[in-house]
Amino acid sequence: MKTLDDVLKNNLNGLHYGNRILLPFRVDILKAVVEKEIIMDFSSTKSGASYKICDDYTEVYFYDYKNLSEVVSEFEKIKLVVVEVGKDLFDFANHRKLALHTEDKHKLTITEIKDDSLLFLE
Amino acid sequence: MMKKHIPQILLILFFLSPLNIFASGAEGSEHTLPNPIMVIPFAVLLLMIATGPLFYHHFWERNYPKIALALGSVTVIYYLVFLNDTHSLLHTLAEYISFIALLSSLFVASGGILIKVDKKSTPMLNVLILLFGAVISNIIGTTGASMLLIRPYIKVNKNRIKPYHIIFFIFAVSNIGGALDPIGDPPLFLGFLRGIGFFWFIEHIILVWAPTLIVLMAIFYVIDSRNKGEEVPDAQYSGKIEFKGGKNVIYLAIILLSVFIDPGILKWVPSLAPLPFGIREIIMFSVAYFSFKSADKKILEANEFDFEPIREVAYLFIGIFATMIPALQLIAYESKVYGQELSPGVFYWATGVLSAILDNAPTFLNFLSAALGKYGMDVNVKEQVFQFSLTYPIYVQAISIAAVFFGAMTYIGNGPNFMVKSICERAGIKMPSFFGYLMKYSIPILLPIFFVIWLIVFYGKV
Repeated sequence: MKTLDDVLKNNLNGLHYGNRILLPFRVDILKAVVEKEIIMDFSSTKSGASYKICDDYTEVYFYDYKNLSEVVSEFEKIKLVVVEVGKDLFDFANHRKLALHTEDKHKLTITEIKDDSLLFLE
Repeated sequence: MMKKHIPQILLILFFLSPLNIFASGAEGSEHTLPNPIMVIPFAVLLLMIATGPLFYHHFWERNYPKIALALGSVTVIYYLVFLNDTHSLLHTLAEYISFIALLSSLFVASGGILIKVDKKSTPMLNVLILLFGAVISNIIGTTGASMLLIRPYIKVNKNRIKPYHIIFFIFAVSNIGGALDPIGDPPLFLGFLRGIGFFWFIEHIILVWAPTLIVLMAIFYVIDSRNKGEEVPDAQYSGKIEFKGGKNVIYLAIILLSVFIDPGILKWVPSLAPLPFGIREIIMFSVAYFSFKSADKKILEANEFDFEPIREVAYLFIGIFATMIPALQLIAYESKVYGQELSPGVFYWATGVLSAILDNAPTFLNFLSAALGKYGMDVNVKEQVFQFSLTYPIYVQAISIAAVFFGAMTYIGNGPNFMVKSICERAGIKMPSFFGYLMKYSIPILLPIFFVIWLIVFYGKV
């Protein structure tokens, strides 16, 4: 099982298939932004988004989109606020901001949003 | 990809059809007044813009282009088939192309500029940014200033941002700021084209503009001082302001200079009539293309540049421009009928209330026309408009202030309002709904200020 830091350090990718993304680490998701849609409710399985933490990865479904790669344009990112499983969710220091970009062949690039890079507020 | 744009292309073809261009009368020809029932598509569109994101969000997000185009088509077909009035349609199309050319070129060119302000967010710094934005909106337009400053403004406030930060930005930078010259806001530019002097506005509006901004900033300062935000104990600020994308400043300058490339201002500029655009629009679209193609990809990535905000404005406003034709013509007619009885105060409120929900440029022009008509003058005669602005400045002042200031009352009052909202939502900031904006911010904050302006400047004047 890889940690979030392993993935970021080694520039490992996730995957995307239609409206589903697979992150190669285990995280709780607190907030997601796709286009101008701000999602903070992950309880529904019909609208917004939901996620499932599996043994080695986390999978996220975005119900309002058929194909994420058609929605996220060249310079745009899907943005997430996540906390690694096992870390204290209530400590803001553990909240990490990620930018995901859909590439060809179902590749999903994962980068961390530092303070001075992308505009994304928790 | 092409399939997605078919309805838009069809609507434009309707506007451009040979039947349309050649069947109509000459410029300024009298047209039959529309049936008041034809205001319904406009009312429906406004209602859907207000309620869509609130009550049927997903349906609205997926279908707003189709809805705007369908409602716009109802008006277009009515004018073509029932009124045989192609002049109004062509005129509106020309205004729409001009509007979208300026907005899209400023949006694209400013998207290639990155400003980073590494300073601690304080109420005073925010006031200074907003005031700076208000001033430069008279140099690069309210759209240019909004696009240039919204991202650094959000970044400065990242640890304490609240919706009111953005709303006051829309109030000051995207609207009220740009009241001092014709570059600031489109209605004033229309006034300039019709004969009002370039510096008339600064001369006659600054004494209302400055106190309005001071009061607005004082309210903002009080609210912002109560927001302690999230303390970042180890945060260090260099105090530096970083600016990247210098060549796009040249593109911005070209766009702003091209505003004046109009046969009405410079006699040597050829008119492309009957085409519904001119050399100016060609320059603006070309600049948009080249500035995007030559932009630094890293800056575009940092700005998360995307065409969606301008696409949204383009679709919604093609519907708004088309459906509002009957409303504007009925207003123009009524204002001429009752023009004799209208005081500067009435012109102020009428222009203001309608500018909050209609496009403020034609609203401005209709009321200017009515005010001139009151004194037997014609809005189409430059010398008379110039003379009117000197002899009866109070009317032009009332109409100009109202057209620009009241644009801040709703998200649809002015083009940049919507674009700022869209950029903020992409940054993860939950913005108030159409009604939330109106009830929580513009009515309690702006309306009392606008009322005081009326009381001091226009009340009792004839």
